[in-house]
Amino acid sequence: MSTASPGIVRLTDVVKDYPLGKVTVHALQRVNLTIEKGEFTVIAGPSGSGKTTLLNLIGCIDVATAGEVTVDGKSTGKLTDKQLTALRLNSIGFIFQSFNLINVLDIKQNVEFPLLLQGGMTKAQRAARVDDVVDKVGLRQFASQRPNELSGGQRQRVAIARALVTRPAIVLADEPTANLDSVTGTQIIDLMRDINHADKTTFIFSTHDDKVMKRADRIVRILDGMLEAAGLSEARASGVIENGGGVHA
Amino acid sequence: MGVLLSIALRNLMQSPRRTLLLGLAIGLVTTFLVLLLSLSRGINENLVTSATTMSAGHVNVAGFWKPTTGTAFPIVTGVAKVREVVEKSTPGLDYVVERHRGWGKVVSETGSVQSGLTGLVAAEESRFFDRLILAEEKEYKDGGSEQVLGDPRRLSEDDTIVLFAGQAKKLGVGVGDVVTIKTETMSGASNTADATVVAVARDLGLLSSFSVFVPKSLVLNLYQLNDDTTGALWVYLKDIEKSEETSVIVRGALIDAGFLLRDHESNPFFFKFEAVQGEDWTGQKLDVTWWQDEVSFLTWVLTAFDTVTWSLTLILVVIIAVGIMNAMWNAVRERTREIGTMRAIGMTQTRVLVLFLLEALFLGLGATTAGATLGAAIALGVDAARIPVPSDAVRTILLSNELNLSVQLNSLLTAVVFLTAFTGLSALWPAIRASRLQPVKALTHTE
Ligand SMILES: Nc1ncnc2c1ncn2[C@@H]1O[C@H](COP(=O)(O)OP(=O)(O)O)[C@@H](O)[C@H]1O
Ligand SMILES: [Mg+2]
Repeated sequence: MSTASPGIVRLTDVVKDYPLGKVTVHALQRVNLTIEKGEFTVIAGPSGSGKTTLLNLIGCIDVATAGEVTVDGKSTGKLTDKQLTALRLNSIGFIFQSFNLINVLDIKQNVEFPLLLQGGMTKAQRAARVDDVVDKVGLRQFASQRPNELSGGQRQRVAIARALVTRPAIVLADEPTANLDSVTGTQIIDLMRDINHADKTTFIFSTHDDKVMKRADRIVRILDGMLEAAGLSEARASGVIENGGGVHA
Repeated sequence: MGVLLSIALRNLMQSPRRTLLLGLAIGLVTTFLVLLLSLSRGINENLVTSATTMSAGHVNVAGFWKPTTGTAFPIVTGVAKVREVVEKSTPGLDYVVERHRGWGKVVSETGSVQSGLTGLVAAEESRFFDRLILAEEKEYKDGGSEQVLGDPRRLSEDDTIVLFAGQAKKLGVGVGDVVTIKTETMSGASNTADATVVAVARDLGLLSSFSVFVPKSLVLNLYQLNDDTTGALWVYLKDIEKSEETSVIVRGALIDAGFLLRDHESNPFFFKFEAVQGEDWTGQKLDVTWWQDEVSFLTWVLTAFDTVTWSLTLILVVIIAVGIMNAMWNAVRERTREIGTMRAIGMTQTRVLVLFLLEALFLGLGATTAGATLGAAIALGVDAARIPVPSDAVRTILLSNELNLSVQLNSLLTAVVFLTAFTGLSALWPAIRASRLQPVKALTHTE
């Protein structure tokens, strides 16, 4: 395995077990994966294959049973809750399947929220940053509305703006299109890809939808907690199947 | 952080029914507490007023005179000298008055009452006449008018008496009638004097059933005492708050001047009588007290009342705490996924805790402020209405014939701060649980 590039995300022999009554569910089994800065990666697999588990570990909202997860240069296994929280705040943006906006705040306030948690910016700086990302996702005219006044696709755009506003190293999106119709879903993925191309923001998202996964630069397939292949979509198309070591052309 | 305040406030408004219901409960308990505290302060005021009119100056220099070891009289001899020392040594002195003390029976054609006799020099008094509120005639006479009759300043005339309404009613007399006072002199002989009722004062609770006012000369005559004796010197200060410290200064000054003094004992003079009778000395000893000493037998009323107030409040507050906790558990449950989201985005445990506590504190502050305002309004209204207290027992406890509520900023703040803090405290456990939720579990939580 290449050691030249540490990757923005690196999983080494990662295992995640869930105790379920008397049995243990092996959600992830010895997963090795490296994701480079600026990649637009999809974790693809059927329901129950372990996509959410994998993204939760990368997103530092869950801890591995064994193995090492390194995010933005930090090995997460030894971090305290406070340090993990800070890592999430400063290095990771989250986009959720069901949008998860704060309903009592309007769109602008939702987007501004992570900046307020970070602190250290003036009101004007925050406003400029918020306007910038709200523009980017095309929601300028909805800025002072509440989330429940918007359509699903619009809400997911708000979530994207909220994820981007801190300029995180990685944006994680767990099945961001699952609650959207296919046209809207495609638009959302295209918006994410446009931002990826423009800003070189690293995106990792999951899906079980073939149409959606085709729009990614790199597809990492997962089945029963094991990575089947990881590589560029071109590589997949040409029949080359690599092991999940993250080495790609 | 401003955004937490704003989220907390908006979350409260998001469930208006729950907020209003809880707010109403917290507010009503606050109202209740404010009313009881105002009543307590009212009783305290009654106590101070009646005590410093009826039983004591701010500082008292009384004394016991023992002609033999087995007898004792509540008399200060050689008043002029004592008075000189007191007037010279008291800082912040307003004025000094003499009060002669006696005990006797006031008799009319139709009845009689036992009472302490207070002999005063009308020319010396100022506060006394201001504080003494005269009764309307109908308060002591069936079919009497609403007019206030008589003038207590006529105590400057010989052989006059001021009664309280309750006594006048029992005796069946009014202003202008003549009553007979019967006492026993020091030698054991009985003595009588007639006195004309010059005024009838409104009752002041317990203390007023055992007191009548007569000119100093009348007491001197009844007891056959010379002019250089008195019962006590009542010292009034410009600032009543300084009473206790001033009593210490006066005591020191009297000792320095060569007088013999009894050790300080926080009891009214009539409590000390028996002890003094048993003591093995003769001659004169002075006894310096301050006004609370003289009514220390009444302060239990306040203590008891405050105990009941806070016990009732605590019971109500515990009931409400259950409601608050329950509501907070619901809020945490309903918003578990939101908590998970905020934690994932990078909100610390502490901030989640603060968010939920803020919500409770806002509710508490809003509800208690409204409740305290309502309580203050009701208390002021009731006080202004001068509602008569129907039962004698209650009158005794309240030290007044009318409901007297005293609204003080302090009481309002106490109620608001205490109950708001309690609301916050009730929410603490749910808030801690909310903050400790694991982000993953919270995010996957389903209702
Ligand atoms: N908290 C949990 N407790 C027990 N089993 C779990 C838990 N979370 C996920 N699993 C199991 O782990 C496996 C992977 O789940 P998940 O990562 O959610 O898959 P996906 O997101 O691909 O649908 C599934 O078999 C699922 O049932
Ligand atoms: Mg999933």
